[in-house]
Amino acid sequence: MRDRDYNIIELMAIIAAREIEDRAVIYIGTGIPMLAASLAQHMHAPNIVPVFEAGGIAPQMPTLPTSVGCSRTTYKAIRTCDMPEIFEMAQLGIAHYAFLGGAQVDQYGNINSTVKGRYEAPSVRWPGSGGANAFGSLCWRTMLIMNHEKRRFIEKVDFITTPGYIDGPGAREKAGLPPGTGPYRVFTDKALLDFEERTKRMRLIGLLPEVTLDEVIQNTGFELLIKEDLKQLPPPTDEELKVLREKVDPFRIVLSRGDKNSKEEN
Amino acid sequence: MPKKFIEILEEGSGQIFSKITPNEFREHMREKVRNAWRDKRMDIKTAIQQFVHDGDYLTMGGVSFVRLSMAAVHEMIRQKKRNMNLAAGTRTYDFNLMLDAGCVKNIDCGYITGMEIFGIPYMTRKHAERMIASGEMGIAEYDNASMAWRHKAAAMGIPFLPIRNMMGADGFKHSAAIKIRCPFTGEELVLVPAIYADVCIIHVHRCDIYGNAQIEGALNEDLGKSKSAKRLIITTEKIIDTDEIRLAPDRTLIPCFYVDAVVEIPYGTHPTNMPGMYYVDIDHMKEYVAAARERSTLEEYYDKYIFGVKNFEEYIEKIGGKERLHYLEDLEHLRVR
Repeated sequence: MRDRDYNIIELMAIIAAREIEDRAVIYIGTGIPMLAASLAQHMHAPNIVPVFEAGGIAPQMPTLPTSVGCSRTTYKAIRTCDMPEIFEMAQLGIAHYAFLGGAQVDQYGNINSTVKGRYEAPSVRWPGSGGANAFGSLCWRTMLIMNHEKRRFIEKVDFITTPGYIDGPGAREKAGLPPGTGPYRVFTDKALLDFEERTKRMRLIGLLPEVTLDEVIQNTGFELLIKEDLKQLPPPTDEELKVLREKVDPFRIVLSRGDKNSKEEN
Repeated sequence: MPKKFIEILEEGSGQIFSKITPNEFREHMREKVRNAWRDKRMDIKTAIQQFVHDGDYLTMGGVSFVRLSMAAVHEMIRQKKRNMNLAAGTRTYDFNLMLDAGCVKNIDCGYITGMEIFGIPYMTRKHAERMIASGEMGIAEYDNASMAWRHKAAAMGIPFLPIRNMMGADGFKHSAAIKIRCPFTGEELVLVPAIYADVCIIHVHRCDIYGNAQIEGALNEDLGKSKSAKRLIITTEKIIDTDEIRLAPDRTLIPCFYVDAVVEIPYGTHPTNMPGMYYVDIDHMKEYVAAARERSTLEEYYDKYIFGVKNFEEYIEKIGGKERLHYLEDLEHLRVR
């Protein structure tokens, strides 16, 4: 086996990019989601419409943005507007995909980015929802990117910042959320996961290159459903890596986070 | 009994820190707009002294590291503003500096302490955790969308807006939102209370002496915020002639009758990004996040950049003056990496 000549951020961005369908409207969060969307746009999905919550619609990102409002998110855009308009578009049904990060997730795809522990006396206070709650509530399909760790993939999140399928089939609709919405894919540093149609529980559908099934199970804090024809996902192609490094993030603003195996402080 | 009524299904237990007073606001605006054509130029010190008071509900323009009115934030910290109630949707660096300087009493939270790709400053996170756990700081939970809509509701002159997120989330329980059954469709909706703020501060690209303002790039919540605060301070990169405004009236995003003060401060958003002019000072952001690892280094940061300078011009010299700013301009226009 040859040495891996790519880092984990590059791998996650490439795996995620492959799942992005062309001609979709995609609401994008900071970091890896920006990499994935931009890579997909350069590869197989030239007709996506990237949207940024602060008001950038379909920019031609010359380099990777440092935040969801920076001038890279409005560079050669087709329109700039304000935040209510962006979320009203999602409420109207325009947003096919939301692309988010989080600190904890459970088997129904509920995301926590607010507190670790009890709300009144948390051991950690995270930044809170940001755009996530509205993205995950109003966009048709929510895609989540997270590190695959037992402390993050847990039985029940400490706080539902962004609802997934809550506690099972029909719960979103019962809570009053727009019908037909919900979590769709989860991308981690170990696996590709979806949500099984009948139970709405998280299901393992692909292993990243060189990752074993056992490794995924060991790092998941709840019982995972496993797809029958579980696949080992193909490693990045030379072309994917070339485009990612030369066109998407030439200054390695986000890609460099994988270089020294530096983890988020959360 | 009326045939149709609005059924309340669930209520959040969060506090309302701002006012919901459309009629009072109407009276206020009736008089305020008479000053449309007053020359509103003043310096930042005077503007903050005159229009920002302890205990005010404050809302600020820009988003994450974009177009934050840092000159105003520095001045509020220097003037030791206290017990402020803050709209904290999409806040980062501006909020963090005010929190650690002891200005903040209560927050409507959308996003706090995080610095996106730069991580969460350690001391600030610990400080926020301590203040929330002890009850020293009141907090209600929202998200960027509901906060934006709360401002928009006020700008519409109404007391609330119905929205379709927040349900099924724990944030709802810690907000002042109400879940109802829609009298028209029978579906469930969340009502979020309007925010009629006491004071709003927004940094813009250019405006005239009356405050007719143009903004480039993402607008974030600034349209709603600028129209729903009792007092509005505009800080601007540049003051231009009213004739220039009249040449392109479609570019005016904030008309002068909402404005109370116009403060010209070139580079007034440094180290954040002014779209089309200069980029985020990434090195400065890293310096700040690193300083925030310990109390002593964070205090040094405040002493060096805020308390140790008289005004923003002196601050600009501290961060490297013209040379640094030209580099950030080159960065914005993709002339350097």
